[in-house]
Amino acid sequence: MDGFMWIKHLTNFFTAICTNPTGRVVLLTLYYLAIIVGLISMYGRGNFTTPKFVYQGF
Amino acid sequence: MKQPIHLNAAIITFIIVILALIGFDVYARSLEGRYVNALAPLDLTQTINGIALQRAALYQSDLLPVYGSSEITMIDTQFDAEKFFATYPTGFTVFQVANLGAASLTMAQDLAALGPDLRGKKIVISFSPATFTMSKLPPEYYAGNFSSLHAYEMIFSPYLNSALKMDTAKRMLDFPSTLQNDSFLDFAMIQLTSTSRANRILYDLSWPLGGLQILTMRLQDHAEVISYLWSHLVNADVEKIPQTIDWSNVFSSALVEQKQHTLNNSLGVEDDRWWYYQHVVTNPIPAGSEDKSFINRVEGHPEWIDFELLLRVLQELGAQPLILSRPMNVHLWEALGVSEQAQDIYYVKLNDIVNQYPMPLVDYQQYGTDIYFSIDQGAHTSRYGWIYVDQTLDEFFHGNLH
Repeated sequence: MDGFMWIKHLTNFFTAICTNPTGRVVLLTLYYLAIIVGLISMYGRGNFTTPKFVYQGF
Repeated sequence: MKQPIHLNAAIITFIIVILALIGFDVYARSLEGRYVNALAPLDLTQTINGIALQRAALYQSDLLPVYGSSEITMIDTQFDAEKFFATYPTGFTVFQVANLGAASLTMAQDLAALGPDLRGKKIVISFSPATFTMSKLPPEYYAGNFSSLHAYEMIFSPYLNSALKMDTAKRMLDFPSTLQNDSFLDFAMIQLTSTSRANRILYDLSWPLGGLQILTMRLQDHAEVISYLWSHLVNADVEKIPQTIDWSNVFSSALVEQKQHTLNNSLGVEDDRWWYYQHVVTNPIPAGSEDKSFINRVEGHPEWIDFELLLRVLQELGAQPLILSRPMNVHLWEALGVSEQAQDIYYVKLNDIVNQYPMPLVDYQQYGTDIYFSIDQGAHTSRYGWIYVDQTLDEFFHGNLH
């Protein structure tokens, strides 16, 4: 199967899913999850560092 | 009828995210429980600034959490509790949560963050007289030990009464540099410390956001621990070698070693610190000449306020703490112009406060004239002094403390 046929099959597959209500919910859910995962990976890291200081006793 | 596809997808996404977060939390807790013994001696930043590992340590029957400051971390020696009990000779080791410059206000927030997990748990609160007898807590020390997670847990804790949270918030607001990047926490604390009904309502309204922030930071805390475990080769199996400790032999060895580090003076000061005190020999300070300023400083020291906050947190959360002070080096302080009688003020005040709470106190006052217990004026524990501390920790853990 050449590349053109692959794209055609994929297009047909996604078109079939998008015309099906359940398929659209699944795709949308994956889309939302991808956004959330992306946001967490970009901004989710906590900052537990503290400013450095020179300890000179009390 | 048109189907609410977006709404359905959003609901499903929400449920999946909640389930994933719950699963992550369960996984993280199980991992932390499995590895906390191995992570205990590493003194990770996350151990000090997070709560995940501290909480895991509370549930290990062979770990004794010890909260403290420079008296614990100042010198690196085989006799400090972490190394001395490294192989669990009598069935336990210490889980140290200690950092230079950490004082009572920092510890109060840290322990408040553990909430109901502290109930019935044995822990040790360690400190030196220096925090009550020398300069006030420098803002940079407090900032250097400040944890947003601990602060949020303190201010929004449902397990502490409002009066305690209010009193703590008042002290926390004395260090504005720690709040300048967190206007929400600053806002909540200002509302909490105000007594008007409007302020109270605003504080209550800030609760949901505060809770959400805590939830987020707890997950981030777990993520940091997991990230460390994934990126480092940590063996969860810790070597445990039961043995009987010959205390008199250990005392002798530690004393010999300590004396080798105090060869250039007769006051028990560590050799590399003597330069700071040698003026007391070349230009002697008249006996008792500093008594008045010392007594005034100790009597009005703000650390007592923070210390009481710490004890109130421990009491309200139902912990079973050992309050562990250190002795002042009587002869060194005398050489610095403070008589032994004046020095007693510290012990009297300490005992007066702790005796109001059902908590055992060990202050080692009887060892004040032993110049080898500590290495300097700040009562930082020496190699020899550590053996006394080790023995006390061992007795406390095994319920033999008298």
